[in-house]
Amino acid sequence: SLLGKDLGALRDIVINANPARPPLTLLVLHAMLCQRYRVLSSVHVHSSVSGVPAQLLSCLGPRHADSYVRQRFQLGFTLIWKDVSKLQMKFSIQNMCPIEGEANVARFLFRLVAPYPSDPALATLVDSWVDTAFFQLAEGSAKERSAVLRALNGALGRDPWLAGPELSLADIACYCCVLQTGPAASSPANVQRWLKACENLGHFGPANPLLQ
Amino acid sequence: MTKDAVQGAAEEADQAQSKKGLKKQQKEAEKAAKKAEKQAKLAADTQSTDEDDFAKDRYGVPQMVQSQQKLDRVLVRVQKLTPEKADQLIWVRARVHTSRAKGKQCFLVLRQQQFNVQALVAVGERASKQMVKFAANINKESIVDVEAMVRKVEQKIDSCTQQDVELHIERIFVISQAEPRLPLQLEDCVRPDGEGDEDGRATVNQDTRLDNRVIDLRTTTSQAIFRLQSGVCQLFRDTLTNKGFVEIQTPKIISAASEGGANVFTVSYFKTSAYLAQSPQLYKQMCICADFDKVFCVGPVFRAEDSNTHRHLTEFVGLDIELAFNYHYHEVIESITDTMVQIFKGLRDKFQTEIQTVGKQYPSEPFRFLEPTLRLEYTEGVAMLREAGVDMGDEEDLSTPNEKLLGRLVKEKYDTDFYVLDKYPLAVRPFYTMPDPNDKVCASLNAHTHTTHAHDTIVAFTELVIRLMFPPQKYSNSYDMFMRGEEILSGAQRIHDAQLLTERAIHHNIDLEKIKSYIDSFRYGAPPHGGGGIGLERVCMLYLGLHNVRQVSMFPRDPKRLTP
Repeated sequence: SLLGKDLGALRDIVINANPARPPLTLLVLHAMLCQRYRVLSSVHVHSSVSGVPAQLLSCLGPRHADSYVRQRFQLGFTLIWKDVSKLQMKFSIQNMCPIEGEANVARFLFRLVAPYPSDPALATLVDSWVDTAFFQLAEGSAKERSAVLRALNGALGRDPWLAGPELSLADIACYCCVLQTGPAASSPANVQRWLKACENLGHFGPANPLLQ
Repeated sequence: MTKDAVQGAAEEADQAQSKKGLKKQQKEAEKAAKKAEKQAKLAADTQSTDEDDFAKDRYGVPQMVQSQQKLDRVLVRVQKLTPEKADQLIWVRARVHTSRAKGKQCFLVLRQQQFNVQALVAVGERASKQMVKFAANINKESIVDVEAMVRKVEQKIDSCTQQDVELHIERIFVISQAEPRLPLQLEDCVRPDGEGDEDGRATVNQDTRLDNRVIDLRTTTSQAIFRLQSGVCQLFRDTLTNKGFVEIQTPKIISAASEGGANVFTVSYFKTSAYLAQSPQLYKQMCICADFDKVFCVGPVFRAEDSNTHRHLTEFVGLDIELAFNYHYHEVIESITDTMVQIFKGLRDKFQTEIQTVGKQYPSEPFRFLEPTLRLEYTEGVAMLREAGVDMGDEEDLSTPNEKLLGRLVKEKYDTDFYVLDKYPLAVRPFYTMPDPNDKVCASLNAHTHTTHAHDTIVAFTELVIRLMFPPQKYSNSYDMFMRGEEILSGAQRIHDAQLLTERAIHHNIDLEKIKSYIDSFRYGAPPHGGGGIGLERVCMLYLGLHNVRQVSMFPRDPKRLTP
């Protein structure tokens, strides 16, 4: 599977994130992972940063009652607030190079929750929306952002979700990046409807306290 | 004719000889004259010194300080010599680190602990030629009292810690004279590894340094190391005192070995024999039974292991912690790791100068850690090692190379130099270690039962067979803590039940008679408790990224060294 060989010990996903840019998508995906697996979640602060806000320290929710026996969990999710220029994931260090960038880590985590669409065109579409979200929405200028919002509006006029009839990583990434960059009220009609639909799913609870 | 010729030749020879002799005589006479001249000059010089030296009260070797007088003189610390003190006349007591005479000037570097400043004696209205000569002739490492004017300098003095000022000496007195030849040079001791080889300069090996430890301890590096070490102790005490711990003192002469008898020193004790304590283990536990709740102890511990490695000493300073907990021994781990993190933070924030000073000679990566501290379980560690290609059994103890490799793997994945490895196999821990209640085999079987309803009976049966085949207690409530991949602390939840303790002691073939008082302490109500012991020297060594524990032990003791 995606998780590699089972060596009879906890398989721990380590994510190094900069507290200046909390990875909202990953928090949402973490909550989804918790529904699917027994996940041991922990948050640490690396010695390279100090003064991390309390809400970031508790962003993975309260500690699991069983967290003192690591053996009882299928998956570890270790979030380390650290002075890194790019978000980083380390999983199986012997077989995998560190994965950089929130988008790429999100793709990996989402695959653990649900498979990508089997249609290659659709899978590529999802990937392309994820790129758009992180490069143009999150880091782009006001002009680029409004262009993306128009494109989103167009796509959401045809389908309920960005990549067809089902929720995909595209929706999660775009939702987080849209809300992170500006007020929802100023978005076009289809986008507004879609934002509401996303909220109704209940997946985005963990990200909400960190959204302004 | 032949006779004549012979005679002539002889005469010639005679003449030649006398010529030679004359020359010799002449030379000797010249020499004598020169000598006399020199002596006369010297005499004249000394005479003129006595007569003409207007500054003769401004330098010299005064009487030995026998507390004849109590001067109101303020001696300024070298560290405090900054531009704010410019144009002030001050007194300083310091060592002569180096001196360099150049015509009518003499430059001195005055050193006080890890700080130094440039000083200058120049012929002028305050100093005479003789005074400059005197200053230049002071042996290195002598202690001097200097009265000087602080002057700002235009160009920074790179070789000194006080780069912005220099001292213009007006008076200089030698308080303690050093012998002219030092067994080793301080410069050679602080040179970074490898640099000496290139320049063909002398390097001093560790043994020479330790043989002349008093001089070696004067180097800036040593000064910084031991100031930081004192800081570790203080941070340890402060943190624990704030957490409500009580400091205790325990005897070091004990009647029984606490962790197996192999590596203890035996001392003769009147008509019987005793041991030197390997750790205050038994005593800190007895204090817990005596309701002290949270205790710590800083003191010497002894190990009679004949291992000559970079990290073993036969006597070192142990920082020991023991505390009662409520329900789970992780309360103890959290308390200890938090203490360690407070120490690391304190060092990072208050000892940056010292860390950098040591780093100049022994460069290393800054120490990195996580808060809260990372805790991995033994099985996870074994899995990481197996993934890296190490072949080891489930219950096998970590060998030193594997310990280091695991440290590297953990650093690569989590980027921390400090972590806890929990749940060690019971077999590799001392008799008083509490067994782990969770049987791994059965736990995983239980986890599967809900998926295999049809095979419930089979599962129950297998479980029974497995329980019979393997003793249920494979792991223990014990943990090690690592810094840069080397163990610094070993700890565990202890058995607080006299019955179970007796069983485990018998299992380990320990003479119950010898530990009777220890076991008895648990008969009258003992709270659950745990703790651990840290080696002060190892913490300092690994925090600074040094390679030998002798560098951080002031007067190290190992199987081959008893002096100084």
